[in-house]
Amino acid sequence: MLVAHNVSKRYGKLWALRDVSATFRAGEIHAVLGENGAGKSTLMGVLSGFVSPSEGRVTLDGAIVPTGKPFACKQLGIEMVHQHFTLVSAFTVAENFALARMDKSLTRLDVNKLAEPAVKIAARLGWQIDPSIGVQNLAVGAQQRVEILKSLAGNARVLVFDEPTAVLAPDEVLDLFRVLRQLKEEGRIVILIAHKLREVMAVADRVTVLRKGIFVASAEIGHVDAEQLATWMVGDMPISPDRHDQRETVGQGLSVRNLSVFGDRGDIAVNQVSFDVNQGEILGIGGVDGNGQIELAEALVGVRVGSQGETLWRGKPFASNLGIGYVPQDRQMDGLATSLSIQDNALISGYKKVQLRNGPFLRIKRIKKWCEGLIQRFAIQAPGPATLVSSLSGGNQQKVVVSRILDEVPSLLVVMSPTRGLDIKATEFVHERIREAKSSGCAVIVISTDLDELAELADRTLFMSSGRLTEASDALSLVGGTA
Amino acid sequence: MRASTAAAIIIIGLPLVLVLTIMVFGLPVLESLRLMMQGAFGDQFGWSRTAVKTTPLLLTGLGMVVAWRAGVYNIGGEGQFVMGALVGAWFAKVAAGLSGPLLLSGILISCIIGGAAWAWIAGWLYAKRGVQVVISTILLNFISVQVLSWAVSGPLQESKHQLLLTDMLPDGAMLPKLSRQMDVNLGSIIALVAAGALFVYLFRSSGGFLLRLSGANPRVARANRINAQRAQLVAMALSGALCGLAGGIEYTGIAGQLGLGFAQGWGFLGIPVALLGVLHPIATVASALYFGALFAGSENLARFSASGTTIVYVIQAMAVLGYVGLNAWAQRIPVQVEAD
Repeated sequence: MLVAHNVSKRYGKLWALRDVSATFRAGEIHAVLGENGAGKSTLMGVLSGFVSPSEGRVTLDGAIVPTGKPFACKQLGIEMVHQHFTLVSAFTVAENFALARMDKSLTRLDVNKLAEPAVKIAARLGWQIDPSIGVQNLAVGAQQRVEILKSLAGNARVLVFDEPTAVLAPDEVLDLFRVLRQLKEEGRIVILIAHKLREVMAVADRVTVLRKGIFVASAEIGHVDAEQLATWMVGDMPISPDRHDQRETVGQGLSVRNLSVFGDRGDIAVNQVSFDVNQGEILGIGGVDGNGQIELAEALVGVRVGSQGETLWRGKPFASNLGIGYVPQDRQMDGLATSLSIQDNALISGYKKVQLRNGPFLRIKRIKKWCEGLIQRFAIQAPGPATLVSSLSGGNQQKVVVSRILDEVPSLLVVMSPTRGLDIKATEFVHERIREAKSSGCAVIVISTDLDELAELADRTLFMSSGRLTEASDALSLVGGTA
Repeated sequence: MRASTAAAIIIIGLPLVLVLTIMVFGLPVLESLRLMMQGAFGDQFGWSRTAVKTTPLLLTGLGMVVAWRAGVYNIGGEGQFVMGALVGAWFAKVAAGLSGPLLLSGILISCIIGGAAWAWIAGWLYAKRGVQVVISTILLNFISVQVLSWAVSGPLQESKHQLLLTDMLPDGAMLPKLSRQMDVNLGSIIALVAAGALFVYLFRSSGGFLLRLSGANPRVARANRINAQRAQLVAMALSGALCGLAGGIEYTGIAGQLGLGFAQGWGFLGIPVALLGVLHPIATVASALYFGALFAGSENLARFSASGTTIVYVIQAMAVLGYVGLNAWAQRIPVQVEAD
């Protein structure tokens, strides 16, 4: 029996987990369910020794588990099967098995002998795996099997699976479930992190739900239904206040018709979506990360090539001088050049402004003044325009992005997770700026996984799931329960 | 690391490295320093020698600054230096009838175009085919040396076909010198102007801004519909142009003809010069001057001791290693933990 006793974990001001207790029994598949950011991965990290909790402790059959020490935990038989595989792709399967079982001495290495237990387990589980094949030649599903076998070879008592189905095809999922059940029958503790309700209902015996780092409920799977679980996951559905009466629609804005967008791997990330956003309106798009939101946003703002369908502004194709503002999801990667100054980062949308340049040359004094203005108007806490963005806090970094984009209110504004990682004050500030843009006639699309944020901002909300947009705002569609 | 801290460390660190190196070589420190100072700045001849060494270092250094700022790590300064000069020599041969100044300008422009084109190959391979610039430019260096050896034994060989050299340029097509006794020539002024122009371009023009942005974070450029690849191609071409110009000035200012010994590593030396110039055009002037003076000074030292200019290479290597180490230390990334 693995027990988490009042476990908390904080990163700076953020509580990733707060006073969570849970009991995981042998011979049971125990699913931990929650949305992005609910604290699932943190809890699993604590259980498997990768994360050291700020408070609380973990016991295995009454003995205290050395949290924060993954190798010691491994020795106790607690193994984690990671979402991102920890295999050396240039090695063969056998070498990967051996690597996990190597002792520290520098004696001659007998790869086949070290790999033998894992190979035997593979046979027992009914998996055919050639130990001499290079891992890089294996499909993702087979790589996961290698990962699982690697963990089992040490005679694991506790197996923690971090979203194991995320990378699998449907028939591979069924096979994985078969193996999970077999492991359970063998008397092991099986823990499964998931956010897909359907899969949890199919395989788990018991489920624990987390929301925003807090324990919500724990139940045997026979005693709850999908709807109940969904409600636990997302909380009481925030109901968008009906703003229809107070909406001042300035006029027709963006129309999207049958838009399909290709993802990075040539897959269809966005599948035939159609919607309208009027000027002076905020459309919210919710849903779990990775369902095509980034691709949709990038296609709308013209960053991503490779799409089919129509995007119209006031009934006509986008004019080249249409003002489009885009706040990308990942400000460090796509929003800012952190090694440059605030001024250079502001200049990303300023270098084209006529008043800031003189032919090919930049009017550096005017630019400095303009940037000082932005710093003041958007309350960016920094000594001056020359300050490097890398030295700013997350909130102030986001303000730099927002200031640059909303300096002149664009006609169309697409923002993604605009307040991720920000404190309450900075969040309010950014929300206020977005509302201002709306009231000056901007057509706004807010894409966020944070339902509270959408309730706060959006006039109406659509949900994105597997590349499609749905009106249905019931909790089930949100967490993929009916997909 | 803040720019001022970096500057302070470099200004204090460089003389320290110099003194340490002299001690390791087992030479008397004060006497060696005196000899080096005398060789570099002792009289007008010393100044001339320093200027002559500084000029190619500055131009190839500037070439590295513009490429590295754009995130394309051009290691091919040497090849661009050689190919620039070769295209210049070709122009000198086909346009031999032109009068002095016209011929000289034509040669220098050809050198610039030749260097730019050679670098553009690597830039194009990177932008269109994803070939790493570091690799392609190193390989292009080898090719350029082979092309040089083919040219001076074939199409560009001197008229008597006896030596592996090109024809000597007519005096009128050489860069004007300050005096007959000294090598210092107009090329040094051209290099200084290039440094000023590069500063203006990088920090006072929209093109330079896009170049720096593309180097700092190409994904931000993409998210703002800015073509980072084009900026990086431009940067490569500019980088090659500067290195080609360096070759042209060495050709028309000092050598007057090309031979197998023309590739003396100036293109490689530009890299440490640019690094210690913190990839800033103006600081690179100071950095090039420092190393130029070291070269000039160590030649004088060599007349009195067995260790000649090798001492400069040791100092350069130590300085660069120290600088890279400091940078790594300053930019060490704290272990980041993700919340869920």
